[in-house]
Amino acid sequence: MPLRLIVRRLVMVLAVVWAAGTINFFIPRIAPKNPIAEKLTQMAGTSGVDPTKIKEMAEAFNVKFGLDKPLWQQYLTYLHDVFTLDFGQSITQYPVRVSTLIGGAMPWTIGLMATTTLIAFLLGTLLGAAAAWRRDSRILQVLSPLMMVFSAIPFYLIGLVLIYFFAAKLGWFPLSGGYGIISIPDWSWEFAVEVLYHSILPALSIIIASIGTWAIGMRGMMVTVEGEDYMTFAEAKGLRPGRLFLRYGMRNAVLPQITALALYFGQIVTGAVLVEIVFAYPGVGTLLLDSIKLYDFPTIYGIVFILTLTVALSMLVVDLIYPLLDPRVRVEA
Amino acid sequence: MEATPPMEAGTIDARTIDAKTPTPATTKPLLAVRDLSIDFYTATKVVHAVRGVSFDVAAGERVGLVGESGSGKTTTALALMRMIKPPGIVTGGLAQLGDIDLLALHGRQIREARLRHVSYVPQGAMNALNPVLRIGEQILDGVADHGVRLTRAEQKTLVATVLESVGLPQAIALRYPHQLSGGMKQRACIAIAIALNPSLIIADEPTSALDVITQRQVMKTLTSVQERMGCGLILIGHDMGLMAQVADRMIVMQDGLIAEDAPVRRLFRQPAHSYSRMLIDSVPSLGERRQPAAAAVAADETGAAAETPLLAFDAVGKTFGGGLLGGPPKVALAPCSFLLESAAPRIVAVVGQSGSGKTTMARMILGFETPTTGSVRYRGRDLAHLPPDAARQFRREVQAVFQDPYGSFNPFYKVDRTLAQPLVSFGLARGRKAIYARMEEACAAVGLKAGEILGRFPHELSGGQRQRLMVARALLLKPRLIVADEPVSMVDASLRMSILANMQDLRTKHGISVVYITHDLATAYHVADYVLVLHEGHLVEAGPPEEVIEHPAHPYTRSLVGAIPWPDPDRRWSELDPDLRASWSAPPVIRGAITGFHLRAAGKLDIRAGNPYPQPENSPVFRGRNKNCSRRHAKTGRSTNAYD
Repeated sequence: MPLRLIVRRLVMVLAVVWAAGTINFFIPRIAPKNPIAEKLTQMAGTSGVDPTKIKEMAEAFNVKFGLDKPLWQQYLTYLHDVFTLDFGQSITQYPVRVSTLIGGAMPWTIGLMATTTLIAFLLGTLLGAAAAWRRDSRILQVLSPLMMVFSAIPFYLIGLVLIYFFAAKLGWFPLSGGYGIISIPDWSWEFAVEVLYHSILPALSIIIASIGTWAIGMRGMMVTVEGEDYMTFAEAKGLRPGRLFLRYGMRNAVLPQITALALYFGQIVTGAVLVEIVFAYPGVGTLLLDSIKLYDFPTIYGIVFILTLTVALSMLVVDLIYPLLDPRVRVEA
Repeated sequence: MEATPPMEAGTIDARTIDAKTPTPATTKPLLAVRDLSIDFYTATKVVHAVRGVSFDVAAGERVGLVGESGSGKTTTALALMRMIKPPGIVTGGLAQLGDIDLLALHGRQIREARLRHVSYVPQGAMNALNPVLRIGEQILDGVADHGVRLTRAEQKTLVATVLESVGLPQAIALRYPHQLSGGMKQRACIAIAIALNPSLIIADEPTSALDVITQRQVMKTLTSVQERMGCGLILIGHDMGLMAQVADRMIVMQDGLIAEDAPVRRLFRQPAHSYSRMLIDSVPSLGERRQPAAAAVAADETGAAAETPLLAFDAVGKTFGGGLLGGPPKVALAPCSFLLESAAPRIVAVVGQSGSGKTTMARMILGFETPTTGSVRYRGRDLAHLPPDAARQFRREVQAVFQDPYGSFNPFYKVDRTLAQPLVSFGLARGRKAIYARMEEACAAVGLKAGEILGRFPHELSGGQRQRLMVARALLLKPRLIVADEPVSMVDASLRMSILANMQDLRTKHGISVVYITHDLATAYHVADYVLVLHEGHLVEAGPPEEVIEHPAHPYTRSLVGAIPWPDPDRRWSELDPDLRASWSAPPVIRGAITGFHLRAAGKLDIRAGNPYPQPENSPVFRGRNKNCSRRHAKTGRSTNAYD
């Protein structure tokens, strides 16, 4: 791919990130609440502080966080910070830096979601392709509507059912959390096993819920591809069934699936919110929810900006990878 | 789908086959098909698609299998490939190819017989190749899957050999299908099909999507390969002209039965079956134009010249792309000018291959596309600046008939709605009765019985009925001009001439002018009063059809006319000329004129106040093959001083 094109794509990514970042900045400001007052009121509710003092404190904090400055100045500061990936300090968990918070939560989410998404994608795509290919197979034909049913159930619901049976009733798996309550995270073998053990139920709920979507999409594409002239010709060439299935059928049918996968990857973090809440998983989703509840602007900015970045980057990756998969979109150098 | 032959394979030996063989010259045919029957089990009934068909193919023989859609010709071919899919079942028969009965094979044998013994060249060259594999890989994978182990060097030699035998350079092996033209793709398909030297090739309408020049090239390639290999060829198609050019013997199928099986000359000279005769008659041939001479109409309107012309193309050109992100500009249509007078209706055919600019021209006439240079004027008004009222009038008076009779209807509504909608929106008829009466009238005008058509859904009608209905729909609005873009390219041959006859009725009975866009010179020859030939956006030749098609003057038109598959076995294609492409960019040739239509290849029209077109017949415009018409000038657009 010519360099000029890559540069053009990169500029597009930057433009998208900037636009999203700008919207991201202004939307929370429209909300008629002051995060500092909120936090202080909350604290006052529990510890009992003189209400008149709260106002003073709120103003002091406003100055500290720069909320007293004019909007455009806040915006410029915001842009600068954001592009240096510095989101300042969290308001609710002051004085922890937002980047530290996100950095702590990110591996959990990525680890859980990326793995499960890939597993679901691979299984679902294969299953869907096979279901389209072997329309005489009973098992596959029964499986298809079943997958459709599962894909219609939201995964947090599946999560709740799984928790009820396998954690609460049978006690095979822990009820919640990313690791045991008494353990301290470190790089030991025992801890890794514990993390894996805790992740089975959330992972299962995501896989069960999304495998059907992949399978249905692939099945549809595969049926379309089977009707193509090149499949007829390939069959007339007397190709081995395996080659017909993989190199002619799946190879072509999987192309739109790849696009869908990349777009899906961009939404991994948001997709995780409900799962993480149901399983009390220490990931970005939980962090995002907590920040929204308390109007923790810096943290919200940080997370949303990271989200935008992942979406934009995954689209860039599709743009760059797709020509390798489909020669038709390859640009002649 | 274990198709066991009705009798033991052993009882059929060479003698019993010979006894039935219609061609006694050969001792044993290459392929002997006996009593082949294929049924399709639909939800409600059993369709007997092929009913006890028997025929032979000799080695080295080219057999044409013709019939209209649904006649069972493709089903027969697929049965030989063992590619009938449920709900279709081969219910009986045998197909002896050499020592093997194709219909008795099972399991792996089926797959192994393909390509090694029988090859298939598919319809629709456009999509027959896997888009993600290189041509070379697609040649080799078939070979590899038949257990042929080759070293790298042997692979390379094989690919080069088969590509060379279809006239493609070796470098094509590294290309992907989308990098090839339609003709090259189809030749690549032939190369794939011959990789293992099969004894029989089945080609299913191999040139259906190609223009005539490429069609001739591909057919010549196919037949020369077949001759060299000495294999049998079954050519499936519905184009009697193509069959006359290529086949030695023809089998005419109708409703799953063989109507006639005869050598090609005898079939064309003395068709025994009425269906064969109908098929032959439905193809336009050279020499007898079936339409009234334009001059007869032209006689009575010499005094009408002062009227505003119906349609005027004033140095209209169109260039696509070239913008900031559009890539290099592409000239879709180099500036050209013509006038269509309103007094006498005319049928003007615009002929060209895909990419010639003919559809761009049609779209500009319809106002769907704005010209880059010049202006399109309808009754004196520039289409680009029509006031709303005039735009409405224009939309009513200029109607379109499109290529695809399947896609032109909304499948969710009964056809009545499609017909009634324009009547209602233009307020041409009020009340159910009046609307129905108008619809009946329009149906009758195109030879359809309203009672059989109205109240039905599009999918319940045949392609021919639908296309006529589109003509009827256009007619309903009492237009002055109809733009017909390839109106018959997707209907069966037997219906073509009747739809084209409908179009002539539009002119003679209803006084409607028609711009007939087509790639098919033969139909243009029969229908049109005047023919424009376009090539890559440039007008190359224009004139009355008798002159342009019977005596083409421009090199490109000559190539085009030379490639027409006339339905006459004695008028076969001449040998392939050396590549004439370079000469195709010669300046345009403008032939005799007709009244009512004036043309300039390049430059502007001479339109002065009070005297919009001073040129009478044989006007000076045509004199001396206007040097400003040269392509170089047309391209740069610096030809505004063309008129004298």
